[in-house]
Amino acid sequence: MTQEGIAVEDKATELEEAGRRDFMRLFGGVLGGGGIALVAAALLPEAAAVADKPDIPGYDWNKHHWSFGVDATKCIGCLRCVEACKVENNVPKDPHHFRTWVERYVTLEGEEKTHIDSQHDPVNIEAAGADGKYRFANRYKDAKVDKAFFVPKLCNHCTHPACVQVCPVGATYKTEDGAVLIDHTMCIGCQYCVQACPYGARFFNEEIQATDKCTWCYHRITKGLNPACVEVCPVSARVFGDRNDKQSPISIFLRNNRVTVLRPESGNAPNVFYVGIDKEVS
Amino acid sequence: MPKHITRLLLVIVLAAVLAYVGKQWLTVESFYRFGHYRGNSVAEIASDKPKYATPKSCETCHAAKYAEWSRGVHNNPEQGKVVKCEVCHGAAGGRDKNPNGYNSATGAEHPKNLKLEIPADTVRQCTLCHEQMPGRPLQQKQIVVATHAGTQQCKVCHNVHSPRTFVGALASTSKPGNPAAGKAIAADCAACHGKLGISEDASIPSLAGQTEIYLADAIKAYKKGLRKDETMMSMAKDLSDSASENLAAYFASLTCKSAQDGETPAAARGQVLAKKCASCHGENGISKQAMWPSLAGLSKPYLEKALKSYKAERKNGMMNNIAKNMSDADMADLASYYANVACR
Amino acid sequence: METLFHAAPFTGYVYPNETVIPWTVLIAIYPYLTGLVAGAFTMSSLYQVFGMERFKPVAHFAMLTSLCCMLIVPLPLLLHLGQPTRALNPVITPHITSAFAIFGYAAGFYVILLLLENWFVFRPHIVAQAKQRKGPLGWFYRILTLGSYDLSEKAMHYDRKWIFALAIVGIPGAHGLHGYVGFVFGSLKSREWWSSDLMPPIFLFSAIISGVALLIVLYAASCRLRKIPVDQDCMKGMTYTLWGFMMFALLLEAVEFASLVYRGREGIEVILEYVAGPLIVPFWIIQIGICSVIPVSWLTFMIWKGVKGNALISGTVLSALLVLVGVLMMRWNVVIGGQEIAKTGKGLLTYHMPFFERESAVTAAILLIAPFVLLSVAVKLFPPWEDSGVQRD
Repeated sequence: MTQEGIAVEDKATELEEAGRRDFMRLFGGVLGGGGIALVAAALLPEAAAVADKPDIPGYDWNKHHWSFGVDATKCIGCLRCVEACKVENNVPKDPHHFRTWVERYVTLEGEEKTHIDSQHDPVNIEAAGADGKYRFANRYKDAKVDKAFFVPKLCNHCTHPACVQVCPVGATYKTEDGAVLIDHTMCIGCQYCVQACPYGARFFNEEIQATDKCTWCYHRITKGLNPACVEVCPVSARVFGDRNDKQSPISIFLRNNRVTVLRPESGNAPNVFYVGIDKEVS
Repeated sequence: MPKHITRLLLVIVLAAVLAYVGKQWLTVESFYRFGHYRGNSVAEIASDKPKYATPKSCETCHAAKYAEWSRGVHNNPEQGKVVKCEVCHGAAGGRDKNPNGYNSATGAEHPKNLKLEIPADTVRQCTLCHEQMPGRPLQQKQIVVATHAGTQQCKVCHNVHSPRTFVGALASTSKPGNPAAGKAIAADCAACHGKLGISEDASIPSLAGQTEIYLADAIKAYKKGLRKDETMMSMAKDLSDSASENLAAYFASLTCKSAQDGETPAAARGQVLAKKCASCHGENGISKQAMWPSLAGLSKPYLEKALKSYKAERKNGMMNNIAKNMSDADMADLASYYANVACR
Repeated sequence: METLFHAAPFTGYVYPNETVIPWTVLIAIYPYLTGLVAGAFTMSSLYQVFGMERFKPVAHFAMLTSLCCMLIVPLPLLLHLGQPTRALNPVITPHITSAFAIFGYAAGFYVILLLLENWFVFRPHIVAQAKQRKGPLGWFYRILTLGSYDLSEKAMHYDRKWIFALAIVGIPGAHGLHGYVGFVFGSLKSREWWSSDLMPPIFLFSAIISGVALLIVLYAASCRLRKIPVDQDCMKGMTYTLWGFMMFALLLEAVEFASLVYRGREGIEVILEYVAGPLIVPFWIIQIGICSVIPVSWLTFMIWKGVKGNALISGTVLSALLVLVGVLMMRWNVVIGGQEIAKTGKGLLTYHMPFFERESAVTAAILLIAPFVLLSVAVKLFPPWEDSGVQRD
């Protein structure tokens, strides 16, 4: 089918739905309240069969099930993902607000405790040089390193999100296709969700006086693109895709790897799956 | 029931009704459509304009650069190593107007009013991924900047769009010359460089079998005064670019002869030092890149003089850096080594 | 331009987003005020519901105190919100799984309950004033009478029944409101310092002691201002009440802390590092040492020795003042402390309270003084004293 064909069909469905809505409004006016559902179900059986979906051109959220994979054994800590995310999503450029960040775990010879740092560490801030630029300082180059690795972090888009549970107004919610989103126009800025997230994935965006976090670039994935961080990762440490598609990168990633999630004991059931992280990572 | 109680109950009922009506009236449109949230916000969030535009969008205008990149080592999907255009140049699909905060599709767009970044400091750019750093997986190519090229910019040697291709191979303007035409005008050179390009004077280099582009570029450099030698500058003064290329082709076609002065102990010491030179001048001093000279079999005095000139006044970013850290003794040893290596 | 945010210094590893501490001093003030509400209400219930006659001198005063604190309670939350204009959203579209969404309804319900109870209690006074006064103040009282000057025995009988019913509903109401504040913190699994089933009762008991302590101080102060003697029996009763509830409160806190350490889950090393470091002054010395151990021993001593007269009054008032500071420190150590221990379980942050800003020390101080300014006006409009000349039950 041509691109035009799809567009025409979408338009037709839209009109049909609009008509259907008007019809239901009329009946609602006459019969009121709870009667609507019964009447609609009786008169329009197909209306109940077609699940409602947001008005996103060419996209049906009932047909997708997004998930994210991170192969920490591939990550080189170049932080291209962090910079790209800030540009793509207009995140404040300072080193205290991140939708995604990368952690470095370093164990030195003869030491038991692991050194962990990330973009907000003063040494790394200095190495980066400017807001919006990020770089890991090569602080361990002369040390005797026993083990070291990088771990990219982002919102886990949990199946049972603690943040959604505590939001008092319904400004954050889980979509049918698996993303956890924030409606900035409803957020009252109480920051209860910031407290509730065990992963530190949420932050308060002072510029817009509302809470903010990763959306898996919902505006990209609904257009058939990858999230910006996946798009720019030079070593394919980040994997994204639709689990309904058995040949998508994420389906292959999940099939071929033994994966783990962060803080499984929280009961949040994350949807970002990790390969190659160590016991200290949480 | 006393009057004040009935009135109180009335006030309470009135307040409750007002509150309920207020709640219904203030509930925003499309709330509860899909769940406990504003249904329309999903489509609003999805309507943001993507900023990263994928390499395909670059190809239309930058076909040549795209071709270089897509054939090069930075586009290796089999290994999962793909450094896309926007990784170094930044997002092409636009930037938001506001410094931070709400997304908006109204900001500057490339190419109309947004120039993409061309990283000026390639050392800083390339080391984001390629600086040797604990934590980076072994399969990642990593360098220690100080010992790899010092303060030299990466782009001097590497084609940034396809880093395994060396810059000179593409950047040199030299075209393949005609050896026969070169032979016709080579008589003037024979006085110093020898009849078949084998010099009799140890201070003057043999040319036979030398890499072609290097020779052509050397003649052009003397002509422009970029390399300084009174004799050579006057000889090159009247040579056209094509004449230089023909001469280069001719000498490159001749058979070389190693200087072989027999200084074995010094040569052995030089062999150790020569390991660093191999990446450009080739294993055993026979260059595999046409723009860099072979060193094998050149005379010891000439090589020594060249190294010293790089330490002193002669300009060449890479060689200056290498020569700067060498003692006179090192130079002598290195020269001895190359002089005694077979040139074929 | 005002600084948009303060990045907190840290040691160890904390998540990058954690460096901006989300809940400030105002969120420490908020449970403190609701605690005073619940505690003061408990004091008045002891008379209204449980018929403890010795508390009659403070019963109505306690009710008024409770109302004045409750009217200020929403302010710290409102000032904390990023979008104060959307403050009604939790009431318009309440998300029932959120403890915060319940706040609008619980607080609203409770304010109405307090207003009603105060209205019934002060109705005779209102009616009397409505008859006497002229001018705007007269109109104020006349509107409050709802146009009925009925003070007949039948009407008063109805009023007493309402007061009793409201007080009974008010006990679970006030305690529910405050227990829920404990739930706001205790239900968060992301923070080990907060995540505890004991949080609601701990908040509740510390609330009661703060309320009782506040009334002790206010009652003694009011007697001095009105130049009347302190009712010995009432004061002694409050001494016993304070002592009794303090025992529960301290026990619960000790049990909670012990089980936190005993369970020793992930991140306990950092918690112990925190307890043994930054918490020495605010927790061990001020909250536990000066503001718990000293008053509790003092009260025990006075009860044991049967101290009477001015010694009892000054001893109890001083202990109560210490308890008030102690409960405030407890709120601080819970709210701010919980956020100073990083979610990573591997690092500590340091909260710095700004002095002049929307969420700062000055705001907190104003919010802490505001209820008493309100109260000083309220006691003029609705004198809660026994000797104020209005016939009461």
